[in-house]
Order: sequence, then C-alpha cells, then structure tokens
Amino acid sequence: MAAPTGAPGGAAASGFLGLRAESRDPGAPGRRRARGGRSRKKSWKRWAGPEARLGRELGAFLEDVGLQQRAAGGLVAEKPDESLFFLDTGSEEKDQKLNRGKEKPLRIDLILQPDSKVPAPKDILAHQVPNGKTQKRKQRLWEKLAERDVVPREQRLLQARLQKAQLATAEASHGQQGAHGQGAGAELAGGFYDIWSDTNPLDRPLAGQDAWFLEQTKKRRVRRPARLETKPSELPAVEVIPAGGSYNPMFESHQALLLQAHEVEVRRQKAEEKLQRQLRFPTAAEAPTQETTFQEQCEGLLEESADEGGEEEAPDEPPAPGATPPPAPLHEKKTEQQRRREKEAKFLEARRLGEKAARCRRQELFQLRSIRLQVKRREAELLRRRRARLAKRRAEATKPRRLGRLKYEDPDLEVQLSTELAESLRTLKPEGSILRDRFKSLQKRNLIEPRERAKFKRKYRLKYVEKRAFREVTL
Amino acid sequence: MGGLEKKKYERGSATNYITRNKARKKLQLSLADFRRLCILKGIYPHEPKHKKKVNKGSTAARTFYLLKDIKFLLHEPIVNKFRDYKVFVRKLRKAYGKSEWNTVERLKDNKPSYKLDHIIKERYPTFIDALRDLDDALSMCFLFATFPRTGKCHVQTIQLCRRLTVEFLNYIIASRSLRKVFLSIKGIYYQAEVLGQPITWIAPYAFAHDHPTDVDYRVMATFTEFYTTLLGFVNFRLYQSLNLHYPPKIEGQAEAEWKLEEGQTYAMDSESYMEKLSALSASLARVVAPNPEDEVQVDEFPVDGETAEQEVARKKEQEAVEKQKKLFEGLRFFLNREVPREPIAFIIRCFGGSVSWDKSVCIGATYDVRDPTITHQIVDRPSLEKQVIGRYYLQPQWVFDSVNAKMCLPVADYFPGVLLPPHLSPFVSEKDGDYIPPEKLKLLALQRGENPAEESGDEEEEDSGGDDDDEGSEKEDDGKLKKLEEQRSQGKKLPVKVSAGTVRLEDKQRAAQEEQSEEKRLAIMMMKKREKYLYQKIMFGKKRKVREATRLAEKRKAHDAATKSEKKTKKVRRE
Repeated sequence: MAAPTGAPGGAAASGFLGLRAESRDPGAPGRRRARGGRSRKKSWKRWAGPEARLGRELGAFLEDVGLQQRAAGGLVAEKPDESLFFLDTGSEEKDQKLNRGKEKPLRIDLILQPDSKVPAPKDILAHQVPNGKTQKRKQRLWEKLAERDVVPREQRLLQARLQKAQLATAEASHGQQGAHGQGAGAELAGGFYDIWSDTNPLDRPLAGQDAWFLEQTKKRRVRRPARLETKPSELPAVEVIPAGGSYNPMFESHQALLLQAHEVEVRRQKAEEKLQRQLRFPTAAEAPTQETTFQEQCEGLLEESADEGGEEEAPDEPPAPGATPPPAPLHEKKTEQQRRREKEAKFLEARRLGEKAARCRRQELFQLRSIRLQVKRREAELLRRRRARLAKRRAEATKPRRLGRLKYEDPDLEVQLSTELAESLRTLKPEGSILRDRFKSLQKRNLIEPRERAKFKRKYRLKYVEKRAFREVTL
Repeated sequence: MGGLEKKKYERGSATNYITRNKARKKLQLSLADFRRLCILKGIYPHEPKHKKKVNKGSTAARTFYLLKDIKFLLHEPIVNKFRDYKVFVRKLRKAYGKSEWNTVERLKDNKPSYKLDHIIKERYPTFIDALRDLDDALSMCFLFATFPRTGKCHVQTIQLCRRLTVEFLNYIIASRSLRKVFLSIKGIYYQAEVLGQPITWIAPYAFAHDHPTDVDYRVMATFTEFYTTLLGFVNFRLYQSLNLHYPPKIEGQAEAEWKLEEGQTYAMDSESYMEKLSALSASLARVVAPNPEDEVQVDEFPVDGETAEQEVARKKEQEAVEKQKKLFEGLRFFLNREVPREPIAFIIRCFGGSVSWDKSVCIGATYDVRDPTITHQIVDRPSLEKQVIGRYYLQPQWVFDSVNAKMCLPVADYFPGVLLPPHLSPFVSEKDGDYIPPEKLKLLALQRGENPAEESGDEEEEDSGGDDDDEGSEKEDDGKLKKLEEQRSQGKKLPVKVSAGTVRLEDKQRAAQEEQSEEKRLAIMMMKKREKYLYQKIMFGKKRKVREATRLAEKRKAHDAATKSEKKTKKVRRE
C-alpha cells in the first residue's frame, strides 16, 4: 500500500522503474523495520531480518527485470522514448462515435443493478467506535460522580495524601490545645445521618446502578431472609411486674403476689425435703442388724450355688448318640388336577368378592344418611383436633425452649413482705436487680441459651511457702 | 428393590440444623466472637422438633442453629473484622512481650474497628420496625447509664448510654408522649406512645446496684453495643420529626451565656452541657421556630370498617389524651432535695409543668424555693418546720398517681405525713366481671367527675345509685298519673258505678326480660350435647369469677373493718 508513495524518490535516485506496483528498487533503504526481537524461534522461522529482506528485495528486482525483458524486449529505462510512446492524433468526437457500442453498459449489468426502493443498510461498523457504548456510559458515570465530589481512585488517593500532609502541619501548629478543647463536642457534631431516608450513605454507592450488575458482582449484601423477621418468642420485651409489686401496693394485689411467691417457695421446699428424705440416715428401726447385713452379704451366693447344682445335673445326661435330626416338613408335589382346582377356586373367590363389593357399593346409595353422619363426625373431629393443635401452639409460643444443656429457670419473684414495705418513696429499698431481670428476660425469650458461669479450675496445686523472715518472727 | 441404599442423617431435618460448635468452626470464629456475631445479627438458636433425628441418634441436649442462618452469617463483612481483631490482639501481645513500644503504638493506631450501621438497616428496614423493638434498647441503655464506673464495662459505653437516654427523655418531653408511670419495687416502669407505637421501658432507681454474679456481662455488653447504635439512629430520626436540632440544643441561651453563668469551675464544657441537658429543666431549640398558626387541623377520614360507635369512642380517647398532655400546664413545682429528682422532673416536664430544685442539688435549677409563684412543692419527709402559704406541700406519689389517673387528683390524700393511698398499677386493666378494688372504683368515679366526698368509702351505694334514680323517677310519674286520674274522675261524676278492678301491673321490662330468658332457655335446650357442655363450662367459669370477686370484696370488707376497729381501740387507748 505504501509502495507507490515512496517509489518516485527511490526511482529518481537509482534510475530504476518498477513495472508492478509492489516492485521496489533494491538500492532504496528499507522502510519497514524488522518486527520483534530476533531471539525468538518464531522470528528465525519466518525468514526475517535484514539479510532476508535484502534477499527478498533482490528476488523481486530480478523478477521485475525478467518481466520487463519478456514484455518489452529489454529494460524499460533503457528504451528510447519513441518506442515507448506515440502521438495521439485522433479526435474525440470520432472516437465517441466509434466506441458507442462499447461504452453502452451491458444488459446483464443493468439487470444486476439493484432496483429496490429501500436503501441498502448502512455499514454501521464504519461509523462506530468499538466498545463505545460502555466507554460512553463510564464517562457519563464519572461525570455524575464528579458532581457529587466522587473522584476516581487515583485522584482520591492523591487528595488523601495531600490532606494528610495538611492535617499533620495543622496539628503541629495547634499543638495540644485544639485537641483538648473540642473533645466531645466534635464527636457530638460529626457524622449524623438518617439511616431510614432514601439518601443515606449506606445505599449511596449502590444507588442508580443495575440490579443485575450489583448482584453478579456481589456489591449488594445478601438479603436477610424473611424467616428472621419473626421473633423466637411472643413474650413482650418488658414484662411489667404485677400490681402487687408496687412500692405502695393495694392490700389484695400484694396478698396475691405473696401467695404466688409462697407457692414457689413451698414447691422448692418440698423438693428439698424429698431429697433429704432419700438421703437421710436410717432410724434405729430401719437400721441394718447383724442378720440383715449377713443376708445381704450372701445375697447372690446362695442362689448361685443352687444354679450350679442344677447345671451339674444337666451335663450328666449325655446327648443321645443315634438321635435323628427332626424330620423336615414334607412337600409332595401337587398333581395337575389339584393345581387346576386351586386355580378355579381362586378365580371363583375373586369373582365372589368383586360381586360383593359391587353390591355393597350399590347398597350405599340407600345409606346416604348414615354416610353423611359419618362425614360430619369426621369433620367435627378434624376441627376439634385443629383447634387443640392451635391452642397448644399458642400456649407454646410464650414458653422458653430447651436451647442447650441447661434448662431455663425462672428467677426468684421479687416481693417485699408486709413488714418490709416502704412508708414513702424516700425509704424505699429496691428489690432484685434489673440487670438480672433483663438477662433472664433474654433467656426467656429464647434469644440466648441459658448458661452457667465457667468454673475456674486450677491446673496446678498451690504451693505455700513461708518466707524465712516471717518464720523467724517468734512471739 | 434397586437403587442405592439410603443413608441415615443425610437428608431431612438432620441436614437443616447445625450444632453450635460446627457453626463456629465453619465461620472460623472463637465462641465469644460467634456469640457476639449472632447477637448483633439477630440469629438465635433453634430447638428442633425431633432432636434425636437432628442429633444423629444421640439425645444429648445441644444448641442448634438453622444451617441457612449460618450460611447467611457467612456473608457478613463483620466476620472479617472479628478475624482482623484476633490478629491485632496477637500482634499486640507479641509486641508487648518483646517490649517494642513503637510497634505497640503503631498497632494501637491502626486498631481494627467495625460499624453496625448496615446491620441496623438490615434488621430494621423501616423506622417503625425499629420503634417496635425499642423496649429492649431503652431498658438496656437506662440500665447501663446508671452503672457505676467500676470497670464492669467500658466507661465510654456508660457515657454513651447516658447521652442517648437523656436525648430520648428530652424527646419525650418535647413531644409530650408519656402515658403511664409505675413505681415498682424493682424500678420505675414508663410507657410512652411514640408515633402511635406504645413503648415500655424500665429504669432503675438511682444507686440501686449490687452486681449479680450469675449474669454474663459480655453478652449484655454486646446487646448494649447494638442497642446504643439503634437508639442513636432512632433519636436522630425522632428529633428530625419534631424539627429539633440533633445534637440537642437548649433553647434560648446561647452557648457563651451559660458558659459565663456557670463559670469554669463546674466542669468541662462538654460535660456541663451534658449535665444541663440531663437536668431536663430547659426545653430544646428547634430548627424552625414553631408557629401556632401552622398547626392546621388535619382532615379526618373515617377508617374503613369502623362503626359510628367506634369512631365516637376513638374521638373521645383522643380528646382524653390531648387533655392528659396538658395535665400540669401552668403549674410550678419545686422539688425538695430528698425527692428523686430525675424521674419526677421528667414526668412534670412531660405534662407541661415547670420544675425547679435547690441549686446545690443539681445544675439547671430555674427558680428558688422562695419564688412566690410556686404552686406545688414536692416533699418526702414527715413534717416541715417552715411552710409558705399559697402552695401545696405534697408527697411525690401525687405526681405519679395524677399522671396515671389522667387528672390532678385531690391533694388532701397526699399531704406530708398522711398515710398514702395505694399506688395502683396503670398496666393492669380489669375486664368486666373481674374484681375491681374499691380504690380503683373511687378513682374511676373521680374520673367520671363525681364527687368522691359524698360517696367516700361506700362503693356499693354508688353502684346502685344510678339505678335508684331511674326507679325513683318512674315512681314519681306513676304517682302523678294517679293524681290526674283522680282529679278527672272527681270532676266528672258519672252515675255508672264501676267496681274498682285490681290493677294488673304489667311491668314491660320484666316481661321483656322473661321473654328473653325464656328464649335463652329454649336455645340452651336446643343445643347439641357438645356445645351445651362447652356453654356450661363457660358459664361456670363466669360464675366462678363472680364468686371470687365477691369473696375478695368480703375479705377486703373484713380487713377494713378490722383495721378500723384497731384504729378505734388505739384512739381510745390514747385518750
């Protein structure tokens, strides 16, 4: 492609004229540089390099010389002008007349001419920049971001470096005074935003972007499953103490609360008593005497000896020498007749059953009333079960669940005895701890599992040493 | 049968659950970090329905989580922060061990920290969701705010809790949304109505801490960490909704002024500002000054499916609430030093009263004891030497009871040294048929606007009072009619003698009643066996309730009588 433009200069220098477009003067300097390094095997193979180029050019030159000799009977440059050119003496009008038939387009070309009214589609690629859409969008995005003072990363990093340097200088100049004075004020004033508004900074980087893109590039967080919206228990977060827990309660409600606490205490006491009863040292009447201890000591022995006696007897009887094995059940082959009869009987039986079923079905028409009754009963039963199930579920919704090794235990009821009740607000002595109450409430609502404090276990025994100075003190 | 053999525990519920330890290993976290993560993300353990199936045949009690929940946790960016922190601690320990103080310094500067904002947004997608879950957050923050700074938890946490609670209290005051207060032996229960959501919380009494040993402080601190973040966002939004400045600003005074006033001796600027806020005596500055003309009556649209009666009831309720909001308006209180300042000041300010205290008690006192405009002085000691004329001296319970009763109660019962009436719980509401104690009846009567002085004590009379009136008027009517009849008959003396027939008194009401009861009886007769059984059960329950109520009433009567007689004997003895 580039050859014709370069050719005149070259031809003028060496006096060589190429016949073909690509023919070149071998003396002209090479315009194309060798592509790539020569250390690769690929470049060796391709017959590249200055020598190769020279060879190629020489070949082309010789070929061209040959062609000129064949076509013109010698080198064109050496021929006289007369042999190469002639004077045109003809007139144009004559020529037109002579060439009329030749200049007329061929019919076949006319036929092949497109005659559609719809213009041919444009070559879109000629007008398009490859990947232009994405680039354009990117540019637009950066413009938009620039409006919101968001700059590309490199710029941001640069700015941050700049600011850091500035800050460092500022702090150095202010000294400790500035830092001390602002303190909590700066903390108070800075960085408040409404998390539930449409333009919160949490969503801002994702705003206006393609949902599919965000999902695929994992920019958007995984959505919280709807299952987690329901609370594990239906109990309220803050359970208000019953009316008896007032600091100055009404007589009845206080009594009711006392009764409740009393019942809890009685239950606990009973359990304790039961344990005590079972672990109690036996009374004189129940205490073991010599006789009973002796009996207890030979509890297993006596029986064992009896068993042994029995066993001794058993081996005396030797197995009978010529005992035949039990006779196997006899299975004689059925006769053909038997088989046929069985088959017939089976067939008859099946038909009988089928007929009976059909008859019953027909009879059911007359039992409609009782069937309806049955259906009704069944439905009522189902309804009852459903209600029971619902009631059970409702009752269990507020119950603490078993979430670990330990079971949830209700905390002690906060109650003040009638004598402990305060006369006035000033003398009130608070009961219980709200911290424990909150903690137990969290456990009761199945938010955390009940745990006990990890026990401290010493790995090595402590060693007590008396210091000498201490030992020497004598009283 | 063909096919592969089905193995046990490879499908069904066994694959839906995961034990805690396995989950922990999957997330590569320590148990403490795992626990923290679960609390922050709101992932709670689950009790499987068929434990043996889930536990691969074993019946040991274990903590299970849903596998899907744990998979959800895997996406959480905070998990990485936890791991970073673990590494940070390791490096720090190493540097300390080698006494490389420069490294220590550098590491401490780059301490990894995390934010919970995105978790809040994720767990509470709307503001109302957050409000619904505010009970826990408030109770926890109020609790932590009163902790002594003894190292049981970070001092910063305590300060943050204090700031957030004070901000919230200030919002409640500004919006006047407190509804109920209950002084219990545990702490003080409050109920407020914020944007239509009832919010209940408990605040401890001051100085009431013994640190229980059976409470896991780390778990509580984690909950608090989450809740403080939540409360911060909620506060900001609430302040915005009322057009208040968000780091709250005290109205009127410029910063320079109160700085001058207090001088440098009191505390650091930031601290004294906080103290001023927590005094709750000054109102907050608004971004836009409120304009009374702006408060346009909102058009009311009837709610679908609401009958006229319901609407009337709703309107009545609204009016009551509006009235309650202005309960203490125009009253000026003074708190003596023995009175718990914060709760009472909060309540009084919530209902529009102005309040002050002695200057030496707390910062932010607005007027002195000698101020002649004081209408009520709250006192909690048996007697006072010097009393000023023109103000009521009352015990603090009056404030709480008045708020619960939605009206200013008569002051006579609450004078200092007087035996107080019981403090009723506003959170208990009796259904009809339940036993209503006489104190409550009295209160209800007061609310209806009847004079309690006449009917003091005898509630039965009061109950039947209404019916008596009706009957009396009927009797009067009858009498009038008779007289008229007589006059007429006397005026026209007819020769015909009519023997007086016995008047058959036809009581229409009674007839209707009889008819009704007859219908009911018939209906009962027509009932099916099962329904009848159920009906009888219900009726029995009702009767039992009534019986119990009467029993309690009698008990109370006996108790009252006993106390009365005791008092009398005491009096006699004294005399």
